[in-house]
Amino acid sequence: MRTRFGRRRQTAAMQSLFLFPLLVLLLSGASARFDDFDEGDDLVEFDDNDFAEFEDVSEDPPTEPPARTVTTEDDEDEATVEVEDNQEDFEDSETPDEDIYKYDAEEFEGFEKSNPSFNDPINILTVPSHLQNTWESYYMEILMVTGLLAYIMNYIIGKNKNSRLAQAWYNSHKELLESNFALVGDDGTSKEALSTGKLNQENEHIYNLWCSGRVCCEGMLLQLKFLKRQDLLNVLARMMKPACDQVQIKVTLNDEDMDTFVFAVGTKKAMARMQKEMQDLSEFCSDKPKSGAKYGLPESLAILSELGEATEGVMDNKMVHFLTNHADKIESIHFSDQFSGPKIMQEEGQPLKLPETKKTLLFTFNVPGMGNTSPKDMEALLPLMNMVIFSIDKVKKLHLNREGKQKAEKNRARVEENFLKQTHGQRQEAAQSRREEKKRAEKERIMSEEDPERQRRLEEAAQRREQKKIEKKQMKMKQIKVKAM
Amino acid sequence: MSDPQRPNKILRYKPPSTENNPALEDPTPDYMNLLGMIFSMCGLMLKLKWCAWIAVYCSFISFANSRSSEDTKQMMSSFMLSISAVVMSYLQNPQPMSPPW
Repeated sequence: MRTRFGRRRQTAAMQSLFLFPLLVLLLSGASARFDDFDEGDDLVEFDDNDFAEFEDVSEDPPTEPPARTVTTEDDEDEATVEVEDNQEDFEDSETPDEDIYKYDAEEFEGFEKSNPSFNDPINILTVPSHLQNTWESYYMEILMVTGLLAYIMNYIIGKNKNSRLAQAWYNSHKELLESNFALVGDDGTSKEALSTGKLNQENEHIYNLWCSGRVCCEGMLLQLKFLKRQDLLNVLARMMKPACDQVQIKVTLNDEDMDTFVFAVGTKKAMARMQKEMQDLSEFCSDKPKSGAKYGLPESLAILSELGEATEGVMDNKMVHFLTNHADKIESIHFSDQFSGPKIMQEEGQPLKLPETKKTLLFTFNVPGMGNTSPKDMEALLPLMNMVIFSIDKVKKLHLNREGKQKAEKNRARVEENFLKQTHGQRQEAAQSRREEKKRAEKERIMSEEDPERQRRLEEAAQRREQKKIEKKQMKMKQIKVKAM
Repeated sequence: MSDPQRPNKILRYKPPSTENNPALEDPTPDYMNLLGMIFSMCGLMLKLKWCAWIAVYCSFISFANSRSSEDTKQMMSSFMLSISAVVMSYLQNPQPMSPPW
């Protein structure tokens, strides 16, 4: 195996071997062309060099290279390379011969056409940004991940804040509650009724506390409804529309603990809203909310009441004192013996039943701070808790006189009647449909009877029953007519 | 003042049934869960990166608003689905996300 370097040395030698005679041949050829009438033999004879043997072949100098190419193509690659080089030399040495170009047509295919214009300046274009592979091109993803991290951070911070607020509230109210209730804190799952002594966490922003075992009431459910500090979307929404944390207290009473009246006091907005939303307030307190100034309350508070006597009874000096001092923290106070929750939107076609009522006292307090509350603000709610306890005892002691009771009973009867009237149409429809169902069932039974005799008998019985009904109706109509007369 | 406590009158806590008052329930976690699933399916099927990212956000919001009584399996499954949507979108097309503007 010849090495590359070996090949090159050999090519140089062979190159020189071929170069010289070819040059000679070219020159002779040229001279032959110019001297057409010269005899070629004369020239040949005068060549006295070592390469005379090649002279015979030199008659057609231009054909020499192709012959050589034919012969040398059989040789190894380097031979053809040299021939090419020689041909290039030929091109340089004498005027370009068309034949040479023809020989190399395949080799230099498209060479002339694709000749780049060397005069144009080279433009180096920048790689488009979407094809670059740098960190900078991923800025949207980085934004997204940053947003997610911000959300997680806010979740942790908000959750902790709500938890601290709840704990602060409980710590400040614990003593009062424990002195009043036998059971403070119950989640309803444990077998024995033991005080858990801690809040139930329903959500990251809602905490419950159930207290029971007191005179005058069945139980008290406290709900700390904080703002959704753990949700970044909510935090951003609250920047547009400020809101505040709320404490909702629901005291359920035994039947004997409260007389029959419906009463509410609170901010004007809250009263307007509750009058529309609450079932009992909309039915029993149909008048517009009265200003609290009548009873010595600040202007911001309004009163909704069924009985004036009840209002007088509730609004004693101490209560007025409480409400005046803490008017900014009070959202609404609602005493009702007919409490059944907000109005339920019933679907059409459903026969309404009177909703179940329970004697309840409801308190909704706003935590001061309007969202920017600190655990210290929770102590400010303690007097309100005192007011709640006071109200429970008060309602127990409040007794309406006979007039008041009669009025209340009339109201309740009126409400029930209205309800029945409203649902009368629906109930009639229900009764009608039931009757039709019965008839259809009977008919089916008659049809399914195989025995024709029995069939006839059943049919006759049904007909007789129909007759009787019609006769009864007619009798009733006659009686009514007689009475009218 | 006599002791107002009455241990014999203790009533156990009954969680308020949600059937009677559906208005009191917060529908946010359920809506966000559903939205998250829809967006992650869109992101997976249509190979839209922004859909997958929004799905991740929706599942986070749903988790933040969820009630403690809710099933953690549901939360975890929606998380996994949204994260897999993001990962699959990038595996199929590693190009960075282009903003819509």
